[in-house]
Amino acid sequence: MKLWLYIIRRILLIIPTLIGLTIIVFILIHVRGNNLIIAEYLNPHLTGAARDYAIQQLYQRFHLNDPLFIQYFYWLYQVINGDLGLTRTPIYSGPVNTALALFYPNTIMLALVSSILIWIIGIPIGVWSAVKRDSVFDQSTRVATFTLYAMPAYMVYLLVLIIFAVYLKWFPISGAVDPLLLQGVSWYVNGISYPTHIIFIDALLHGDINIALNSIWHFILPSLGIALGGVAGIIRLLRSSMLEVLDQDYIRMARSKGISESEVINIHARRNALIPAVTSFVYGVAGLLGGVVVAEVIFNIPGVGYWTVQALLNNDAGGILGSTLIFGIILVTASLILDIIYAALDPRVRY
Amino acid sequence: MSKNIGLIGRRNYLLKQNPRIEELKISFKIFFTNPTAVAGFVITLLYFIDIILVQFFPSFIGISDPNRYIYNFNNPVPLPPSSSHWCGTTAGGIDLCDAIIKSIRIDLIYSLFIVIVGAIIGLLLGLVSGYLGGIFDEILMRITDIFFSIPYLVLAIAILFVLGVSLENIAFSLIIVWWPLYARYARAQTLSIKQMTFIESAKASGTRDLMIMFKHIVPNVLPPIFVQISLDLGTVVGVFATLAFIGFSPTANIPELGYLTSLGLNYISIAPWSVIIPGLVITVFALAVNLMGDGLRDVIDPKRRSV
Repeated sequence: MKLWLYIIRRILLIIPTLIGLTIIVFILIHVRGNNLIIAEYLNPHLTGAARDYAIQQLYQRFHLNDPLFIQYFYWLYQVINGDLGLTRTPIYSGPVNTALALFYPNTIMLALVSSILIWIIGIPIGVWSAVKRDSVFDQSTRVATFTLYAMPAYMVYLLVLIIFAVYLKWFPISGAVDPLLLQGVSWYVNGISYPTHIIFIDALLHGDINIALNSIWHFILPSLGIALGGVAGIIRLLRSSMLEVLDQDYIRMARSKGISESEVINIHARRNALIPAVTSFVYGVAGLLGGVVVAEVIFNIPGVGYWTVQALLNNDAGGILGSTLIFGIILVTASLILDIIYAALDPRVRY
Repeated sequence: MSKNIGLIGRRNYLLKQNPRIEELKISFKIFFTNPTAVAGFVITLLYFIDIILVQFFPSFIGISDPNRYIYNFNNPVPLPPSSSHWCGTTAGGIDLCDAIIKSIRIDLIYSLFIVIVGAIIGLLLGLVSGYLGGIFDEILMRITDIFFSIPYLVLAIAILFVLGVSLENIAFSLIIVWWPLYARYARAQTLSIKQMTFIESAKASGTRDLMIMFKHIVPNVLPPIFVQISLDLGTVVGVFATLAFIGFSPTANIPELGYLTSLGLNYISIAPWSVIIPGLVITVFALAVNLMGDGLRDVIDPKRRSV
């Protein structure tokens, strides 16, 4: 099968998953009854007959008197047209769409930087501990990955915070960017940066290197925490798959031809050992995004996860709807991209 | 002399009659000659002894109120570890050692509940779907796909939004998040066992499907599920504490490790011990059950046996 044909088939396959995702989100926000949805829209100053009338209007507007599965289709139509409702949390209240534009860039940024860090940290350590099998380095790596694997996620972030921000003072303790730098910046209005909403990219687009560097500076520590929480699995897997590859005939063949050891490892062995690590990373992404939620809470970064927790604590249906939907879409997209990378690396999976 | 021969002969006869007892002896031997597995087992045992002591003999270890923290507002700022407070205190003057000993009970009992109920639900559904196959199997797999399409922590938070935040509901939400994993695992195991000849012969001799599933397949699926439970327990304790850490309001007065950690969060720069010590307690437990699970996996997997 050609790669593009595989990609099209894979994209078609996520449609049922997305439909299932919307069903789950719909059930989650409607199972507590209509009161929460009405509470988001109702003007709190209305009383008596005016209030009853407003409630009736809302019932009609959202078809709340229809059976649930008919409501679902009305709701889906509304969602596809880009209307996700309203949210009321202490950090933001207004349309869910605007809230997403406000929050998702930080989350994407955090997820991207931490996955890059996972590979930067994971590949050399995993490969080396396989090459230097049973050495002191390998043994200490095994102990470290075992401990990191067992540690609850928030503990890893807190340790990173205590070591690098509290004691060493290398990085800022919390926040997404230094607010003092953003004062009077023309492309940053009401907490949203334009045009892409991602401060780092916007700053680069406007040639403001200082702000771009500052935002990276703030993201390193939380990303490092998330990466350390997720890297243990990759290192373990890479080590075992590297050991397997190094035992193959073609590696022995390469060695017997007199190719230098570094060439054998870097060119012949490592690429093949990476394939299983890429597949397992598909499952790692879910854990990584969960880690993003906790990291945002601990490091005070206004992202989707922080908003989710605020929505949970303030009984806000809009926040839960927006965040579950956006996290689901991020996860489905990430696994799609990883599957395509996997297919490009290993032609056998296309069949 | 003849008596001796008789005894040995009788023992050999019994062993032939009871391969399960012999198997169990070998299993114990494999498990208890693995030092890391034994260490994990001993540490896990210590945690469970703590639960029993707090539950049934609280006064024996000097605990007055096992269900509540004891606030001591004479010293609201966290104090470092000293001879009167071995682990130091946290905000509100709560003695950390006392609080941790109480908290372990709640964390562990809820986590055990989550993995066991999740495993039972997953086992039953995975078993039936793997054995019957067809449309039921397809539907179940699509449902688990959907569950895996939302990050589990976010899904758990969304379910908590529906149920309301409390320790029981954290447990329920984690069961809902966790069963698909066990369902997939049990299904994969069932599929591989279904192919074996002894199932075919059971079918050929007219055994009913229900009988085959519960008499022949379940005993073979259970050991790997059991290992999975022991490996998962560490993760679940962590996730449970994480949810309590981010979701609980500071007015709650329930001894729970994640909540206890969150009490120290505002004092992290002046009193790091109030955050590190409760976190280490969970980490040590998670390490111990992981080591124990690795040891158990060596026991049930003949390929990894070295005896």
